[in-house]
Amino acid sequence: MSDDLQPKLFRLGEKALVLDCASLSGSSNKLEIQRQIWHIGDQCRASGDFDDIVPGNNNLTFFFKDSKKIPFWSNQINTLWTHEPVQDKPGKLIQIPVQYGGEYGPDLNAVAEYHKLTPQEVIAIHTSTQYNVLFLGFQPGFPYLDGLDKRLFTPRLATPRLSIPAGSVGIGGEQTGIYPAQSPGGWQIIGRSALALFDSASESGALLAPGDRVQFVSVLSISEQSILDPSILSESIPDSPSSQTATSKQAKGSHKESSR
Amino acid sequence: MIEVLTPGFHTTVQDLGRTGYRHIGVSVSGALDRQALMLANRLVANPDNAAGLELTAGTLELKFHRDAWFSLTGAHYEIKIGSREIWHGWRSKINAGETLILRGPKSGMRAYLAVDGGIDVPISLGSRSTLTAAELGGHQGRALKVGDRIPLGDKRSLSKPIGAVQRGYSNEVRALPGPEMTLFTQESRNVFWSSQWQVSNDSNRMGARLSGKALGLEQEQSLNSHAVMPGTIQVPPSGQPIVLLADGQTTGGYPKIATVIEADLWKLAQTRPGQKLKFIHVSPNQAEDANNEWDQYFYRLQRAIDANS
Repeated sequence: MSDDLQPKLFRLGEKALVLDCASLSGSSNKLEIQRQIWHIGDQCRASGDFDDIVPGNNNLTFFFKDSKKIPFWSNQINTLWTHEPVQDKPGKLIQIPVQYGGEYGPDLNAVAEYHKLTPQEVIAIHTSTQYNVLFLGFQPGFPYLDGLDKRLFTPRLATPRLSIPAGSVGIGGEQTGIYPAQSPGGWQIIGRSALALFDSASESGALLAPGDRVQFVSVLSISEQSILDPSILSESIPDSPSSQTATSKQAKGSHKESSR
Repeated sequence: MIEVLTPGFHTTVQDLGRTGYRHIGVSVSGALDRQALMLANRLVANPDNAAGLELTAGTLELKFHRDAWFSLTGAHYEIKIGSREIWHGWRSKINAGETLILRGPKSGMRAYLAVDGGIDVPISLGSRSTLTAAELGGHQGRALKVGDRIPLGDKRSLSKPIGAVQRGYSNEVRALPGPEMTLFTQESRNVFWSSQWQVSNDSNRMGARLSGKALGLEQEQSLNSHAVMPGTIQVPPSGQPIVLLADGQTTGGYPKIATVIEADLWKLAQTRPGQKLKFIHVSPNQAEDANNEWDQYFYRLQRAIDANS
């Protein structure tokens, strides 16, 4: 890579270092850069020198245990960026069952009308994409997803709702996503899932990790999800043999959902 | 075990926080005034990271169901067992069946109660700290309520009361310039370093919201979302800065004008809404010196404790 394709590296506070690739996004595929970011994060995590390594949107922040290690790692990270081949290892595919419309998706009809589509067409478009989890933030387990079809770009609500239930699936501008916990929000809510995106009792805490892929699957009833078995899911998406479903986690999370 | 007769306003279980989960959106959480919790723990011979209670305001009545040594540090509270008055910043003994009454704060904002053996709630994602926004950790993921029964760890054999001098509060908060400092107008940069910023009422464990003259960028920009941390001072379009604290979100998209140094983050925990604070521009070396001062404080403290035990 030539020098102008080198990302910026700068310090944040006393113990953090930021790898910022914003200047590269014009010259290269943004998702490819993000893949490199995930990969470098994974490479460095094992060293034990970091409290946390946090991907953002085309950037990566290293939180050091000891600031004395920053000079060493500044060199190391630059070298990794230049010499590590981009890994095209796909993350795991997580299918998220969603009941679209009705009481769980109060804005589905408005989104359809806005685009002069039928609600069924909105669902078909929304479920036909595999979204990439760019990074997690905002609240525990909240995924920033890349890949929403242009035909579904929809402005946020003029007045945000004070409370959106956990599991709500929405569209806000050029993004789509799912809320792990109840929260205020201005996105157009088109459906809901009973899947637990965040479960502190599990080892990893969150269902999704940066680099994973998400596919929404339309189900007729949110209550069906507790009896959903993986064979039904893989039937609905025959071309994804590597897919994992999260039914075991979902069973853990379901008591949480029912109490809301 | 401690039985909560009166919970106070937003009393939570906190240790020194959780690391290793920010990439999945889990805030570090933990005591806002880390040094006050560490001091309280040292006084009762707990490890620094033992969980204690973080008190925000109001009156607490805690009935102890075992003999215990406890200490209260940070914000000044009136401390009583029955009619017996207890000194702030000292370790004292309470007998099983007695009720500890805490009223305050008289000054400061957050106090820390440590009990020998620590608060023994389950560890959740590596920490006992309460993160209420995620209903995670602490006692059932929430602030304490009447009737809660809080488990304690094994008691330690301590003999006599000892006390410690607490560091003095000042409203001068040292900070390093943030990565986006240069995107702000020259006037805004001057205003940032020279103003008295008032802490506003909607401040909480997620962030201290400040009010003053609005800060503005040279030209409007949108930044990609990036990681933020406790101490990050971000400026949303309103121009009113927010200092992110332990429960603050893990990523954000607002420009970061500065970062409060780790050694001074406790001052944000102890400044009340309505009070004012001022930022002092320091270098990374000065930030490191400030950390060393804290190390020395705890080194001397430990020597004094060991000499008196």
